[in-house]
Formats: sequence, C-alpha cells, structure tokens
Amino acid sequence: MTDSFLTISGFRKTFGSIVAVEDVSLNIPKGEFLTFLGPSGSGKSTTLYAVAGFDDPSAGDISIDGRSILATPPHKRNIGMVFQRYTLFPHLPVGENIAFPLRVRGHSAADIAKTVKAMLSLVRLEGFEDRLPAQLSGGQQQRVALARALAYDPPVLLMDEPLSALDKKLREEIQVEIRRIHQETGVTILYVTHDQEEALRLSDRIAVFNHGRIEQVGSGEDLYARPATRFVAGFIGDSNFLKVREVERRGSAASAILPDGTRIENIPAHAGNGHAATPELMVRPQSLKFVQGSGAGLAVKVKDVTFLGDTSSVLLETGWGQEIWLRGAGSAVKTNALSGPLHVEWNPADSHLFC
Amino acid sequence: MLLSYDRLGGLRFGLWAITIAICLFLLLPVLFIAALSFGSSQWLVFPPPAWTWRWYGELFADPRWLAAAWTSLKVGALVTICSVVLGLLASFALVRGKFPGRLWLKALFLTPMVLPVVVFAVALYALFLRIGLSGTLIGFVIAHTILAFPFAVISITNALETFDKSIEDAAILCGASPWLAKWKVTLPAIRLGLFSAALFSFLISWDEVVVAIFMASPTLQTLPVRIWGALRQDLTPVIAAASTILVVLTLILMAVAGLVRKVFAK
Ligand SMILES: Nc1ncnc2c1ncn2[C@@H]1O[C@H](COP(=O)(O)OP(=O)(O)O)[C@@H](O)[C@H]1O
Ligand SMILES: [Mg+2]
Repeated sequence: MTDSFLTISGFRKTFGSIVAVEDVSLNIPKGEFLTFLGPSGSGKSTTLYAVAGFDDPSAGDISIDGRSILATPPHKRNIGMVFQRYTLFPHLPVGENIAFPLRVRGHSAADIAKTVKAMLSLVRLEGFEDRLPAQLSGGQQQRVALARALAYDPPVLLMDEPLSALDKKLREEIQVEIRRIHQETGVTILYVTHDQEEALRLSDRIAVFNHGRIEQVGSGEDLYARPATRFVAGFIGDSNFLKVREVERRGSAASAILPDGTRIENIPAHAGNGHAATPELMVRPQSLKFVQGSGAGLAVKVKDVTFLGDTSSVLLETGWGQEIWLRGAGSAVKTNALSGPLHVEWNPADSHLFC
Repeated sequence: MLLSYDRLGGLRFGLWAITIAICLFLLLPVLFIAALSFGSSQWLVFPPPAWTWRWYGELFADPRWLAAAWTSLKVGALVTICSVVLGLLASFALVRGKFPGRLWLKALFLTPMVLPVVVFAVALYALFLRIGLSGTLIGFVIAHTILAFPFAVISITNALETFDKSIEDAAILCGASPWLAKWKVTLPAIRLGLFSAALFSFLISWDEVVVAIFMASPTLQTLPVRIWGALRQDLTPVIAAASTILVVLTLILMAVAGLVRKVFAK
C-alpha cells in the first residue's frame, strides 16, 4: 500500500520462551481508526506497547511516514496514549495534567492556557481545571487522559482498552465521544479491545488477533459477512458450526455433504480452519429460515424457544444430534407452528465452509 | 463473630482493667519525669515540694547540654537525608528490578532491624576504630543510617508498590525523559512514603542510645548519650529536664507528621 502512514512489518516479540506476538504486519493510512480485537493474551497490548516504544521488537520494524521509529526513545516519539488503568498524575489537578506534556515541551504560558481550554472543551469537561483526579469518576478520568494525550497534537493515538473498567452505559456514551473526537481531530488511532461490539461501533477497520497473529483485517462488515478463518467467524457475531461429512472443492466454492446426507452446493470455502481437524460449515442464526411445506432443506427438531422482544431464538437439533440456533423476527417464529419435524434452509452464499 | 465484645459479659471489665493498666505503664514514667523536672527538690523528691523552672535554666546555661542537642539535631538531619536517598534508590531496585536474588537482597537490607543492637554496635565500633571513624560525625551518621535504612526501605517500597507504573509510563509518553518523569510524577505521587521514611529515620537517630554510646567521644555526644553519661555522674533534675525536652520534641514531630498526613490525604 502506498498510502500507509503507520507501518508495522514482521513484528515479533518474545519474552524468554513465551512468544507474545508471532508475526504482525499492518499498513495503517493517516487518519484511520484501526482496532485490535482479540481474546485476552492474543498479543494486542504487546503490539501497541511496541509502537509506544516501551518494548523493543524481537524482530520486525515499525515506521511512521516511512521512517523507522525503533531507534527513537518513547519520550521523543510524540505519540499519545490512553491506558487501560487510570494514569492521571494524582498530585496534579486536571488542568495541570493536560498542561504537563506542553510544559515538558517548553510551550509558553499563554499557549498552554489556550490549549488546556480547547482540550477540556474537546472532551466536554469545561470548568474541571482545578479538580484533582481523585475527585473525578472513572469516565471523567479517562476523558481527561484522552485530553492530555491529544494536547500536543500527536500524529498517532494509542488506546489500550481505555473503557474496560467502566460500566456498559458509560462505555457506550464515551464511545460516541471518542468517535466524534476522532472525526474532529483526524488523528490516526490504534485502539485495543476484546469487546467486539466496541470494535464494530468505533472502527474504520478491525484487525482480529489470535495467538499472536492477525487472522484478518477488514471493516466490521467484511469480517461479519466474509470471515477468512473459522476463528474470525466464531469471534465476530453469533454463529453455528455444522459438522460436515464430505467436501468437494471447486476453486473458492465447494459442495458439502452434512452427516445426515443433506447436500449443499456453492458455499464460499476458506482454508483457515485453525486447529480443528475436520471441516465445518458456518451459518449465522439469522440466516436460517424454516421451510414452508416439506422436503427441501435440513431436517431439524425444535428443542427450545427463547423470546427476546424483537426477535426470538430457537434451539434446534439436527438429525445427527447437533444443537444449532436459529434467530428470526418474533412473527416469523410462531411458537404454535413449531411442533413435529421441520426443515430449515439458508442461502449457501451466506454460509462459509472452513476446511 | 464468635468472640464478640458485647457477649463477653463480666470479662469486659477485666479487659478494661488490663487496657488501663497498660496505658498507665506506658504513660506514668514519662509523666513522672516531666513532673520531677519542674520539682524544686534537688533530690528528686516526689511529690515535689514546690514547682520551679530552675533546672531548665541550668540546662540551657550549660554548653555541654547545648552541644549535645546540636549534635543530635545535626546527626538526625544528616541521617534522614542519607537514609531517604539510599532507601529510595534501593526501593526502585527492589520494586522495579528484575534481577535474581531480589528477595535475598531485601532480606539483607532489613537485617539491621533484627540484629541485636549491641552486637551491631560492638562490631561497628571495632571497624570504626580501625579506619579512624570512631568519635566522628561521619561515623555517627553512618552508624545511624544503617539502623534507619530498613525503615526507609519499608516505607518507600510500600509506597512504590502501590504506585501504578503506568502513570510514570504515561508521563514518559507525554514527552518527559525517564528521569524527569520520576522527578515530576513518581516522587510527588509517593511523597507520603518518603515523608514517613524521613520521619522514622530522624526519630530512630534522635533517641538511639546503644550504638551512640560506642560512637561518641567526650567532645561529640548526642543528647541520649549525654543523659546517660550525666546519670552515671550524679542524679540531678537537669537530666529530667533534658529528658522532658527530648520527649516533647518527639511529640511535636509526631503531631506535625499527623497533620501533614491529614493534609496529604485530602
Ligand atoms: N512482560 C511480559 N513477560 C512475559 N510475558 C508477557 C509479558 N507481556 C506479555 N506477555 C505474554 O504475552 C502474551 C500476549 O500478551 P498481551 O499482548 O498483553 O495480550 P492482550 O493485550 O491481547 O491481552 C500473553 O500470553 C502474556 O502472558
Ligand atoms: Mg491487553
């Protein structure tokens, strides 16, 4: 990619015999909001800390604007960061916290006063200058931390699960703020989270981490509709993984024969099945529909129905005893019609075969 | 709770009696000395036949007492500085360092706390005689610093352990060099621990007598050593006056410490 602003290439990090990050490469254009999404321990923070400069890579390079930053110590990288834990300087009031990076850089008093005011209004905390961090709520502290990290206009802002200590409602509120601030400032953001909803809500693109590698990079829609690996399919959104008896591959499509003999044609096929030894067919609960009449589709029995307001979830059992979920609009899943043997079907293009 | 105070019945009065007895044991000797220092009797008669400031007058007129007090203050101040600075450096190594034998090193740093103080005093005396430090101010400061150091290490490592290193990292990413970040952020954040370390260090030196007796020379004595020496010569109420001043200064220091802590906690 030619328009890459922040480039991570072949990054690898080991701690003794522990491999924290196997191999990560990313091209991030200027102004992008990119999220590292993945389970705990998958190497997200390690990658972020390498960009910050706290840990030297075991291998690979990181560059901004085409120049490697590895030789630059962290305090000269001019990078902003908001941490998972509260890191406001406890002995300084809010205004002085935000002023700190500017004082270190020797800005004039007038300039500092102006910037502190602008930053406080950016994070909607006007009038909080003189409060001490201990007098703020967790959400307010993280907003001040964000203001402090943006005060010196860094080209790159790193955020390591900044909202994970907050409750859900507050988290969503601040997500909206972060989104707005990203649009207003145009800063390039690397954001770490293990919460897929947060990633989907905030990001331009998401890099899905697993075991120290990136499984797939793409927009939320990409990852949901076109997962490249079984791990991504399972991590983003809800999914059923059906057992498969036989696969016939033809290029990027395949036919699958399910254990009860049902044959499904023209399924997008992917090689990334991770550790699982046998091929699996992934289909989203929302893609499943009951077949009117009989004959076609996959024979199932209904085991349970859960009413969820707008939708209902139905637990089904296939002929070979596997449990799968179907989700549909409340009206489409009439409880009284759900007796006896039924059939479900789906558009094969909406399902994925991992083999 | 099985053993609750409210259910103790008559035993409660027993507990009260023990508590009061302990308090009296702790307080009475001090009050007794203070009372005697204002008593008019040359022979420390109790209760004093009349009250007087005379012994305080004699105390402040005697250059030997004043010199001892000045030495105590000087030694205490120097010990405070040395012990806090060394304690800070040691604490960073113990809390942040990742070298093998860290726990052993910590145990070693704390040995002066548990070593019998007479043994320590004799050993140090023998060493200082050899290298010419005995009877010098530097000898005093080194000896008391060794005694105070473990307390400084404990206070400062505790403070440093509860301080989240991410805060220092944040300062570094803000553009402060690692040294500046420690100076501007970490030290102010652990100032309560530093203050406790300073207070402990001063008080340990201020009322230490065993090691000080070995370190002292006829011309260089701390207040406790002077009290001890005077006691062996003759029993005069001036000693009671000196002791009272020692106690009062300690109390003032503790009160100031309490106040500072209250202000910090806000
Ligand atoms: N300083 C370290 N020493 C040893 N192992 C580490 C260190 N930092 C991280 N790791 C290991 O590296 C792996 C990745 O960690 P991390 O990047 O923090 O994961 P994430 O942020 O995705 O939860 C984990 O298995 C973790 O135990
Ligand atoms: Mg992490």
